[in-house]
Amino acid sequence: MAAKDSPLKQFEIDPISNIELGGYNISFTNSSFAMLITVLVITLFLTLTVSTRSIIPSRMQLISELMYNFIAQLLSDTVGDNGKRYFPFVFSLFMFVLIGNMVGMIPYQFTFTSHIIVTFALAAVVFIGVTILGFINHGIKFFTFFYIPGVPFYMHPLLIPIEVISYLSRPISLSVRLFANMLAGHTLLKVFAGFVVSMPFFTGVFPLAFIVALTGLEILIAFLQAYVFAILTCLYINDAYHLH
Amino acid sequence: MPQLNPEFFVSQLFWLAVFFTFLFVFLWRVSLPRIATVLEKRQNKIDENLSSAKELQEQAMEIEKKINDQINKAKLETDEKIKETINSLQENVSSQLSSLDKDLEKKVSDAEKEILKSKDDQMKNINNEIVNITKLTVGKITDIELSDNELDKVIETHKGNFN
Repeated sequence: MAAKDSPLKQFEIDPISNIELGGYNISFTNSSFAMLITVLVITLFLTLTVSTRSIIPSRMQLISELMYNFIAQLLSDTVGDNGKRYFPFVFSLFMFVLIGNMVGMIPYQFTFTSHIIVTFALAAVVFIGVTILGFINHGIKFFTFFYIPGVPFYMHPLLIPIEVISYLSRPISLSVRLFANMLAGHTLLKVFAGFVVSMPFFTGVFPLAFIVALTGLEILIAFLQAYVFAILTCLYINDAYHLH
Repeated sequence: MPQLNPEFFVSQLFWLAVFFTFLFVFLWRVSLPRIATVLEKRQNKIDENLSSAKELQEQAMEIEKKINDQINKAKLETDEKIKETINSLQENVSSQLSSLDKDLEKKVSDAEKEILKSKDDQMKNINNEIVNITKLTVGKITDIELSDNELDKVIETHKGNFN
């Protein structure tokens, strides 16, 4: 347990209602609540703004369409025509991470993307899915993914283990990137928030100004990390189709 | 670090699975097809408008071509008409001129004939007068009665010698 005024206090999980299922603790927590809010915001926004289905879109409908086109463009740029069938998944992933990060930017709201277990689960789904996809597309030939053509033969004993390790570390890098960004940003905000309170007289204005600027940066990072998560997923899907 | 406390790992994974699955299925089945239909509808509308614009442009070009053809045709026709008119006018003028010439020639020749006739008449009169005067003069001077025939003969023989 972190101390009462520790910058890490914000990451603590508090159960809202205790639920147990088959001996496992599946309590509905503040993290689950943030996920619920995220899912509600995404589904309601994407449903209500497009409810009129007008050819000339309203501003809100335009936002939904822009998001749709953004991810569709991303997929077609990286994967090509094969990517269309993964569009719902990549779009859900992008929106979930993006809105999850954004919900976390609301003061006193929990940021579930700052928990390694959540980001790792998402990355693991991507990793396992992409690996299965690779085997479906190429069968046993998928292992040639670790074999780099056009390299002197004596380099292979060195390169193949490197390739295998880099492949296996994909879910770790994917999840830790998002988790660490969120953790660092929110911790930094909290540290400076502590300065605002603890500094004498009006000098607290300076860390406050820094917090304002940092909030802007954090919103950018929230978007950027969602984008990175989505684009890496696209690249991994592409690798499952085109080995090298 | 609360993130590494495994107490709530199962809870986190459980609710993540629930919410993310719901989100995925909902977006896949409801939201995204809706947006897709809107985008498709718009694209169709744009394509339709573009193709109809193209069609209209083609029609406009055809009409313009027709207009140009008509203008050219009209120009040619007008030129032809003008030529015809000029030709017929020229013909008319020349025929009128020639008939006028004929008329004038006829009038001139008529006048000439008249002049000749009146000259003859005058000459005859002068002859008669000469005969009469000669008769009278000869009668007065010589008391010789000359017949007209004799006088005529004398005058005929001396005609032209008196000037």
